Amino acid sequence: MGRPHHLVEDQLFDCYTAERAGEPLDPRSAEHLADCGECGDRYSELSRFMDGLRTEADAETDALFPSDRQDAQRLSIMRRIEHLGHAARVITFPGRLVTQQMGKSLRLRVSPWAATAAAACLFVGVAVGMFYDGRNHRPQFSTARVVPNPTAPQATAGIGPAPIALDTETFLTELERALGGPQTPELMTLDVLTPHVREIAFDAR
Amino acid sequence: MNDRPIRRADAHGGTAGGPAPGPTTRRLAPPTSEDTELAVDIRSLLEGGAVDEARERFAELVSRHQRRALRIAYQYLRDAADADEAVQDAFVKVFAHIGSYREAWPFEVWFTRILINGCLDRRKARARRERWFTSSEESSPDETQSAFGGPTPLDPEARLLARERRARLAAAIDRLDGRQRTVFMLCHYGDCTPREVSAITGLNESTVRVHLFRAARKLRGLLGGKP
Repeated sequence: MGRPHHLVEDQLFDCYTAERAGEPLDPRSAEHLADCGECGDRYSELSRFMDGLRTEADAETDALFPSDRQDAQRLSIMRRIEHLGHAARVITFPGRLVTQQMGKSLRLRVSPWAATAAAACLFVGVAVGMFYDGRNHRPQFSTARVVPNPTAPQATAGIGPAPIALDTETFLTELERALGGPQTPELMTLDVLTPHVREIAFDAR
Repeated sequence: MNDRPIRRADAHGGTAGGPAPGPTTRRLAPPTSEDTELAVDIRSLLEGGAVDEARERFAELVSRHQRRALRIAYQYLRDAADADEAVQDAFVKVFAHIGSYREAWPFEVWFTRILINGCLDRRKARARRERWFTSSEESSPDETQSAFGGPTPLDPEARLLARERRARLAAAIDRLDGRQRTVFMLCHYGDCTPREVSAITGLNESTVRVHLFRAARKLRGLLGGKP
C-alpha cells in the first residue's frame, strides 16, 4: 500500500559495480530501476559521481604519463630485463696499473744518484745551519734563567718527553721586549690588541 | 593505516604453483584471457631458452598493461616518479619470476598483486622516511607534467581548479581505511571485478563488495556528493 520500496544505497552500488564489470544486474533491482524514476535519478547521480572519479584519474594519469614517457618507461623495462640473469659486472680497481705507472714515473724522475746528492745536501745544510744558529743565539739563551715553577702542572712521568721547565714570566718578558724592538713594526698592531701579562696579573689582583 | 601486503609469499609466484587460493578461488572461472596465454607462451619460451623471443613477447604484455598499472600505482602513491619506478619494478619482477606463474590464475590478477605489494612497500618506506626526515616538497602534477613535456591545459583557471579537485580527491582517498582504499583502487582504477579483487587480496568476495560500497559512500560524503 502506498510508497514503493526504493533501492537502498548498497543495492544501487551493486548495480553500478555489476554494470561496470559487464555482469548482469540483479533482475529485481534492474526492474525497479526501470520503473522508479526516483531510484533512476539516484542511480544516475551515483554513476555520475563514480564515473567522474574515474575520468579524473584517467586525465591525471594521462597528463603525467604521456605516450613519450610511457615509451621511455617501456624501454627502461626492456633494458632492465636484458640484464636479468647476467652476473653483475665488477670493475676491478686498477691497482697493478697504478703501481706500474707510479714505478715508471719514479724511475724516470728520480735516479739513485740524484736522491743521494739531495740527501747529502740536506744533511750538510742542516749541519751548517745548526752550527751558525748555535753561535748566534747561545749567549742570548744563556741569559734566560730557568727556574722551576712549583705551581706549574707537571707532566706525568713516563708519558711523553721530559717537561721543559721554563719560567713563563721570563719567557713572556723576553717576548715583549722582542716585540717592542724596531725590527718588528708590522707586529705592533697585533701587540696593541693583545693583552699583556702584566695587565692580566694586575687585573687578577 | 591498514596497508597490509597482499599475500607476500605469493607475490613472486608462490611456493606451490602460483598464489595461494583464497576463499573464492574455486569460484574463479578458468582463465582464458589473451594475457594469460601470452604469459604462458613467454614462460614456455624462456624454458626453451628462446630468451630474445620471450623478451619480444613480454614487450607486448608490457604495452597492454602499462597504462592501467601506471594509473593504479599513481593513485596509490600520488607521486609520479615513485609510480614510474613501482611499475618498472613490477614488470621486471614478473619477467624474473614468470617461471613460477601458473595459468590457474589470470595474469592480470598475478601482476596486479605484485604491483600492489610493491606500492605498499613504497608507501611504507616513504612513511618511514617522513618520520625521520623533513619531507621534501612534492612536485605538483603540473610541474612534473611540464618537466616531461606533456600537454598542458590552456586555461590556467581550469588547470588550477583541476589541481584543487585532484588534491581534494587524493586527500579523500587517503582518508579511507587501508583495505577500503586497496579495494576501491583495484575496482575503480584497476578495472578489476570484485571477484578479481577477491583473488588478489584474498578477501571474501562479499567482503570486497562491502569495502567497495563503504569506500564509495565515504568518498561521496567527503567530496560533497550525496552519501
